[in-house]
Amino acid sequence: MLSYKQNPDPSGLHSRRCMNRKKDKGFEICINNINFQRKSVIGYVELTIFPTVMNLNRIKLNSKQCRIYRVRVNDLEAPFIYNDPTLEVCHHESKQRNLNYFSSAYTAAVSAVDPDAGNGELSIKVPSELWKQGDEMKVMKVYIEFSLDQPKGGLHFVVPDVDGSMAERAAHVFSFGNQNSTRFWFPCVDSYSELCTWKLEFTVDASMVAVSCGDLVETVYTHDMRKKTFHYMLPIPTAAPNISLAVGPFEILVDPYMHEVTHFCLPQLLPLLKQTMSYLHEIFEFYEEILTCRYPYSCFKTVFVDEAYVQVSSYASMSIFSTNLLHSGMIIDQTPVTRRCLAQALAQQFFGCFISRMSWSDEWVLKGISGYIYGLYLKKTFGVNEYRHWIKEELDKIVEYELKMGGVLLHPTFSGGKEKDNPTPHLHFSIRHPHTLSWEYYKMFQCKAHLVMRLIENRISMEFMLQVFNKLLSLASTASSQKYQSHMWSQMLVSTSGFLKSISNVSGKDIGPLIKQWVDQSGVVKFFGSFAFNRKRNVLELEIRQDYTSSGTQKYVGPIKVTVQELDGSFNHTLQIEENSLKHDIPCHSKSRRNKKKKIPLMNGEEVDMDLSAMDADSPLLWIRIDPDMSILRKVEFEQADFMWQYQLRFERDVVAQEEAISALEIFPTPASRLALTDILEQDQCFYKVRIQACFCLAKIANSMMSTWTGPPAMKSLFTRMFCCKSCPNIVKTNNFINFQSYFLQKTMPVAMALLRDVQNLCPKEVLNFILDLIKYNDNRKNKFSDNYYRAELIDALTNSLTPAISINNEVRTVDNLNTDVRLILEEITRFLNMEKLLPSYRNTITVSCLRAIRMLQKNGHIPSDPSLFKSYAQYGHFVDVRIAALEAVIDYTRVDRSSSELQWLLDLVQNDPVHYIRHEILSMLAKNPPFTKAADSLLCNEALVDQLWKLMNSGTCHDWRLRCDAVNLYYTLFGLTRPSCLPLPELGLVLNLKEKKAVLNPTIKSEQGPGGPEYRPSSQPNFENRLTFPTQEEEDIDMDTVHDSQAFIYHHLNMLERPSTPDITLFQLFALIFTGKEPSSVEQAMLSMPGTPMPTLSKESTSSKHGDHHHHHHHHEHKKKKKKHKHKHKHKHKHESKDKDRDSHAFSNSPASGRSIRSPSLSD
Amino acid sequence: MADSVVMGSGSFNSGSRSGSSKTSTSPTENYQLARRRTLQVVVSSLLTECGFESAEKVAVETLTEMMQSYITEVGRCAKATCEHTARSTPTLSDVVVTLVEMGFNVDTLPVYAKRSQRMVITAPPVTNAPVVPKALMAGQKRTHPSYIPGHFPEFPDPHTYIKTPTFREPVSDYQVVREKAASQRRDVERALTRFMAKTGETQSLFKDDISAFPLISAKPSAIPYLSALLPSELELQSLEETDSSEQDDQTDTENNPSHIIQDDQSADKENVVLPPGGVVPTGKANEENMIDNPYLRPVKKPKVRRKK
Repeated sequence: MLSYKQNPDPSGLHSRRCMNRKKDKGFEICINNINFQRKSVIGYVELTIFPTVMNLNRIKLNSKQCRIYRVRVNDLEAPFIYNDPTLEVCHHESKQRNLNYFSSAYTAAVSAVDPDAGNGELSIKVPSELWKQGDEMKVMKVYIEFSLDQPKGGLHFVVPDVDGSMAERAAHVFSFGNQNSTRFWFPCVDSYSELCTWKLEFTVDASMVAVSCGDLVETVYTHDMRKKTFHYMLPIPTAAPNISLAVGPFEILVDPYMHEVTHFCLPQLLPLLKQTMSYLHEIFEFYEEILTCRYPYSCFKTVFVDEAYVQVSSYASMSIFSTNLLHSGMIIDQTPVTRRCLAQALAQQFFGCFISRMSWSDEWVLKGISGYIYGLYLKKTFGVNEYRHWIKEELDKIVEYELKMGGVLLHPTFSGGKEKDNPTPHLHFSIRHPHTLSWEYYKMFQCKAHLVMRLIENRISMEFMLQVFNKLLSLASTASSQKYQSHMWSQMLVSTSGFLKSISNVSGKDIGPLIKQWVDQSGVVKFFGSFAFNRKRNVLELEIRQDYTSSGTQKYVGPIKVTVQELDGSFNHTLQIEENSLKHDIPCHSKSRRNKKKKIPLMNGEEVDMDLSAMDADSPLLWIRIDPDMSILRKVEFEQADFMWQYQLRFERDVVAQEEAISALEIFPTPASRLALTDILEQDQCFYKVRIQACFCLAKIANSMMSTWTGPPAMKSLFTRMFCCKSCPNIVKTNNFINFQSYFLQKTMPVAMALLRDVQNLCPKEVLNFILDLIKYNDNRKNKFSDNYYRAELIDALTNSLTPAISINNEVRTVDNLNTDVRLILEEITRFLNMEKLLPSYRNTITVSCLRAIRMLQKNGHIPSDPSLFKSYAQYGHFVDVRIAALEAVIDYTRVDRSSSELQWLLDLVQNDPVHYIRHEILSMLAKNPPFTKAADSLLCNEALVDQLWKLMNSGTCHDWRLRCDAVNLYYTLFGLTRPSCLPLPELGLVLNLKEKKAVLNPTIKSEQGPGGPEYRPSSQPNFENRLTFPTQEEEDIDMDTVHDSQAFIYHHLNMLERPSTPDITLFQLFALIFTGKEPSSVEQAMLSMPGTPMPTLSKESTSSKHGDHHHHHHHHEHKKKKKKHKHKHKHKHKHESKDKDRDSHAFSNSPASGRSIRSPSLSD
Repeated sequence: MADSVVMGSGSFNSGSRSGSSKTSTSPTENYQLARRRTLQVVVSSLLTECGFESAEKVAVETLTEMMQSYITEVGRCAKATCEHTARSTPTLSDVVVTLVEMGFNVDTLPVYAKRSQRMVITAPPVTNAPVVPKALMAGQKRTHPSYIPGHFPEFPDPHTYIKTPTFREPVSDYQVVREKAASQRRDVERALTRFMAKTGETQSLFKDDISAFPLISAKPSAIPYLSALLPSELELQSLEETDSSEQDDQTDTENNPSHIIQDDQSADKENVVLPPGGVVPTGKANEENMIDNPYLRPVKKPKVRRKK
């Protein structure tokens, strides 16, 4: 230990060198005890390491929130240090509250424990006895005992509050997390690139099932027969983040088609599970066929859990899904959604779990491939139309996001590991780590990744593409069967360069420019197109301009495909977009000749009759499309005449073209557009999503044409013709949803119709009555399918029909002055909402719609605005969809009524709600519909709120990477990157009583340029807002106080346990108990009986060690239990002064024996 | 005694009898009341005979009730005895047998009847015997065929044993049917929800009038996903109607969970080896047994430790 202290080498560097050479071969986890009552877990891990370097004297592992009792290396006690800088990111009581500062500090903190860089929260000193052995490169076994108590991240316990045993209560626990989060529930090397084989053991109650990765070898009762131990083996090398666990009283379904696949769901849901899983084998077959590769694991398990973190998460040989994906055979809408989720999960089994990534910057390859093959599945199962529609949707999404938020970079490179070289300066977070990414950005990242894969496919053909995948898989599966020594395992990790190399090997094509454009650069292309027809030359003069200066855009140079539909047929032209050429001349093939009545050939070979009377007599052009195959990530704004869009809508067979035409027609409210839309609406050969889009477009057009509109309201007669009785057209037929296309249309048309407005800007009485009649005559008795989604959409239609109330002198809304139409609507909503209590609908869709309707009634001033109803529906214990809908209403209320108490209520929920998904959703909904923004003044924006949010992202969300990034996002939305405007000016803030002076100071603060005191150096610089990197100072800041803060944090948590304290039981006994594993309950008793026991000695590892010019401070504390509190206070006051002293007096007297005494004060007494 | 006075002035339409709350006009009721009053007089006179000077009304009522029960019971038993011997009218001997059966010493009766101080009670006022309401005649009754003697009971109405020819023309107009079904359902739903809202806690959208548009208050449940995911009974029912083949599936799934729990418990108690969770998909048990899935394998017993 002395040598450790004296080590003159910056310890970080040293250790990193060691870690990179360290290879772990085998990993064994054993969880002895899972207590649902207390939500605690006890277990140990054993890690087998092959040192590949001389002098391996320190091992760094990842571990968060675990209590570590002892560490042994080859049966020798090993001292260890625990330090987690991400617990609290910034330590100074900074009044600055500057997001730039936070982001860089957070990135530094995450880097400081990044396993890929050889870092970790847990640093284990290899006993000196073993150093010799290390020199000879012998195997080392690291054994760690740990426990988790009420974990806030990593593992989620769901324990319903009802009577009965835990199994009867359907209590269960499962692992979760964003990216590498396995460190939250056991100490490991939490990296996607560190592979090893696994042996997992879980002892659980006899009524429970433990599902984990790998093969279930055997299940053995404990001696008292009250518990069972599940033994799992995972012989395929797997990274720790791909390990998961789910324990609960699951019902088991062996897949009837594939006996090695097992499905698990919570009690009573088995019939739903059977239905939901009845098509999984098709997905398996599809992937195995296209990849010409068998599913890599010998078994597959699906587990459906409540309160899931995300809908789908994939781990080695198992996937955890949200239980809300289960559905019965009567449900239409959920079925395709669930199928997609299953297909996604399975695609990630191949790429993501089996094949892992070399580093974070290679993530795009995995997400891209899994997303791409998932797309192929969509194409096969749901058809080409659906596939192209999906691609367009994804393309629109990414384009919209990048244009709004700035570019998404798939393959960031960080030269020299320096913070300064930020590849994405436009973002308010760093993309250096998966844990610093905004969730929205990560979703867009995945979206872009699969779109880019598709671009590669366009370039090299699908055949080659699949060959590349096959090659990756077969190399990996060869490697996986090898023993560790052969060093083949790296074949199981994909890297960008390796992937590109195999593409060029397989296809022989150079896709360098493509990769450079879309992978190494961020941004999308924005085209503006217009054209003129030159009659003399019979040439189409096309002009394509680009906007590459606004944020999120890039310049495109290269080929672009243009399709021109002429009278004589459809012709593809490939134009070259070059630096300075805007105009392109395209020769036309046909003379304009409308007199010849001839059928017009389309792209797909079909020949159709067209009524050509609408078109320009001189031009043979019917329509023009730019980049019809979506082979550029672009947005095209193309100008062509309304009749051309109409022809395109009617006669172009590609759904993307049809959808483009529909959105273009919105600005052409003419009878011809109306006719084209109505025709498409009626055509049942047309893709149903196009028809749905046509409904909404028709509503918009009808509103623009209000004064000239003739005949019944848009779509009414159409609906009557399609869905109402022949004999009595005012009554809808009894429901029969056997034809899904018309079902979706039947659902959507009323919703679109309700958007119609008359001259007074009200929904026409005729339409409202029509919708009310649909509700009245709705009859589902003879239907094979549930009508819950249909009824929900009818309520949505009522919501859409609402218009602002005419208010006279802000009168109070009472029952008496309720508008008669609104009264009718309200009666329906009341009845629906009440009926739902007696006969709940699937996923409570009707309640969700009713809540939205009530909020809309409030917002439009028909009924008094009041959040209490929503707050009661937002409580824990309602179905998650209902809660989200209710929370959305509360958030909307908060914005409209500027209610600080509601905002406070929401933020409290973010901190306290048991469901992680809800917390995440609250923050992201708040960011989407913020109560105020950085641009506007608001009474809500005050110092207390800044403090609260700052605390939330600084330390309150340390257990959930995603939530922390959500908090950062919200902070950014509310206050921007720099000091929030509501904070007092720094220099005044130092002297004055802030609270009193705040009101006075507020107006001046906006100028944003007050000279800061010495502490606020960054803000004193005039160009501060553009500064994205910071002087070295903050790096030091992070380092300094971590010891204290993380200790205090853990200490605080321990105190919260509030267990009866029996200090007599020593830690020594505790170890003995765990070791024998004889009496788990007493182990727990012992463990819990020491609330004040300090955690393993905590220390701060200098994160700044990579910058050689920095100070390095190590201060290690030895704690005596009884003095602990006092000592803390003391240190807090004097921490700066006493640093060096500390170091001298306490630092690491860690012999194995003293290591124990550190953690066990009663022994040392 | 007040009662006898009342009795004496008893008229059919008097509405002031013994605090009776409703005025009765039906002949049947009058008839019965008259009898009852006589019985009260009897009881009162018996009491006087026994030497009571006054009695509380409640006591008299009770004794009257007892008396009436006794007499009724005698009548019922006598009737039963007589019917037992295939006759239709009870005779003296039937009454005697009945009294004996009820534990009454018949021999004392003549002596008691001839006692000197007995009071003579007037017969109950003549009232019209209750009219048995005529059964509704529907259709033409059949006459007896020649081989059935005329004193046999008449045939019942033909609709009771042949068919019911009387019905209203069903509404076949589609529109009306739909209209009716819709409004019926709506009325039921509205009534039901109003009832639920009135009997339970509610939330209101208006502060001024809490009773307008009452919403049944939202109550969190411990396991919210169950009600949200599982089809409601109504849906299951309609599914059965539309497709009876799927019925089997549903019923066995409903039963499954309880079986599992039982299985589990028995497995624990008796150390029976059963797969974890104990689920063997029903229906094709034989086939399932062939499946080698690690989760269906029996749980092993712990190895005996060498140390022990």
